[in-house]
Amino acid sequence: MLAASFENVGKTYKSGLIRKSGITAVQNVSLEVPRGSVFALLGPNRAGKTTLVKLLLNLARPTTGAVTRLGEPASLRGSLNKVGYMHENHAFPKYLSASEVLHFYGGMSGVPTDQLSGKASQWLERVGLADRAHEPISRFSKGMVQRLGLAQAMMNDPELLILDEPTEGLDLLGRQLLRDVIGELKAAGKTAILVSHVLPEVQELCTEVGVMVAGQLAFRGKLNDLTSNRAGLEAALKALYVKGTA
Amino acid sequence: MPNLSDAIRTIRWMVRDTFRQSISTKLFWVMLSITVVCTLFAASIKVTGGVSTYEGVAYTVPQSEVDKLGGIEKVTGDGVQVKNGEISLGFGAIKSKIAKSKEDSVKFIQLWLAGVVGDSLGILLAIIWTAGFLPTFLEPQSATVLLAKGAPRWSILLGKYFGVVGFVSLQAVLFVLGTWLAIGGATGVWDLTYWLAVPLMMANFAIFYAVSVFIGVATRSTVASAFGTLLFWVLCWAMNYTHHSLVSQPVSSLGGGSGFLLELGYWFLPKPLDLGGLFFDSMGASGFYGQMPEMTDLKTANKFHPEASVLASGAFAVVTLGAACYEFSQTDY
Repeated sequence: MLAASFENVGKTYKSGLIRKSGITAVQNVSLEVPRGSVFALLGPNRAGKTTLVKLLLNLARPTTGAVTRLGEPASLRGSLNKVGYMHENHAFPKYLSASEVLHFYGGMSGVPTDQLSGKASQWLERVGLADRAHEPISRFSKGMVQRLGLAQAMMNDPELLILDEPTEGLDLLGRQLLRDVIGELKAAGKTAILVSHVLPEVQELCTEVGVMVAGQLAFRGKLNDLTSNRAGLEAALKALYVKGTA
Repeated sequence: MPNLSDAIRTIRWMVRDTFRQSISTKLFWVMLSITVVCTLFAASIKVTGGVSTYEGVAYTVPQSEVDKLGGIEKVTGDGVQVKNGEISLGFGAIKSKIAKSKEDSVKFIQLWLAGVVGDSLGILLAIIWTAGFLPTFLEPQSATVLLAKGAPRWSILLGKYFGVVGFVSLQAVLFVLGTWLAIGGATGVWDLTYWLAVPLMMANFAIFYAVSVFIGVATRSTVASAFGTLLFWVLCWAMNYTHHSLVSQPVSSLGGGSGFLLELGYWFLPKPLDLGGLFFDSMGASGFYGQMPEMTDLKTANKFHPEASVLASGAFAVVTLGAACYEFSQTDY
């Protein structure tokens, strides 16, 4: 069973009203993420990692190819209720308190109303924000907002957790929390996809890796293969980089 | 197909969130303050004397004419009523003689409050002030996590629309309730037709806010949303006025094609002038305020169809909202 699959996927963003110009963010990517894995999507900035995640979350539609999520076409939004997502720079509404954020995003994820308060309290405790549950988040530091982001992503007990640059802004305790949460997901047979531009940030968490360069998949395999075959990877990256910038 | 209960739940969450947003942006309190000022103004009104009713009386004359007609005894002896009231505003700061009954004086002020302050100034300000709600909400940094939830996108947008319309409706209810209670308490006149202002203001706002939503989705710009909607309102008003002018006073040189296009434009676009006409009629404003001659001519010619006009304007709002939902569902984030 696959948690996510991309089949010859391409994405070109159009801009301009009359003479539409296109920016190709992803081209011809085929990738499968098995259920139960912790998969890291790596690559330099503007490599197309976030675009791939957006296609998986139906935030954007592919120009070519097909994307499936938890066995269903990504365009069907119903299965998004089984997905948790956070990204590095999310701006939660500043007028909400931490508790209200979890109620709101949990409610929007399909968590039954009678379970919202219990789950919100549980996750606020878990991410160390229980004592500030009713404080407006406009007073929170970036690290606290990131921890809250992780809590909102977990409110619906997701089958698939997608974290885009999750360690950005997190302190040591936050990183430990992240490791624990991912470890628990893995033990429960669930899937996590981590997006990062730095390997050391995710290498102790992931089991499998995909490397994106210039909108294309340059490497797909076990983490060990990536670290043991560095020379081969570098050659592949260089070839792709030259191709992408030519 | 999305589950209907999911969509309803999403709309409910979005409505609740919009009310929170309105309170946090201070807009709730700004609008409430305006209501409080108007309520204080209404509470300061006092009407004394005047003619209580004109029914059964053939002639009435103002107090200023009595001496010219031979004095009060002669005038009343002839069966003529004397209009000798006084209205004071600002708790007695401003006083003025009135040649109206108490009920009519109160009605005059209520029409001014509902028509000028509420339905014109209030709705225009509400369109400008709420124009930022959607673009702020749709900024990619704020929207992506929410759009990655299972809720159908159209239900998120409809929830935001209903939230803003609900918020403005609540303000309209508070405005009418406050001023109605204050005027009633101060003058003893409890005119229930004043409450018709609430649905009329709601309809007016709901129709034009749909346009604001569409522009907000298409541009994600507060400025474009606010000024685009105001410009659109002016365009609709001009189309509405031109149509009525040409229907009430036909121009022989207007060709069949131009006439057809004019009718098409009139029926397609919302009709602010007609909504104003409906407001005028529902509130019983004739005899207190003058109406545009074109509108009067149209009514005389029996060519004013307020029900069809409101239905067509409502249909435009529904189609515009549908287009906004479609655009939103197709937008990449």
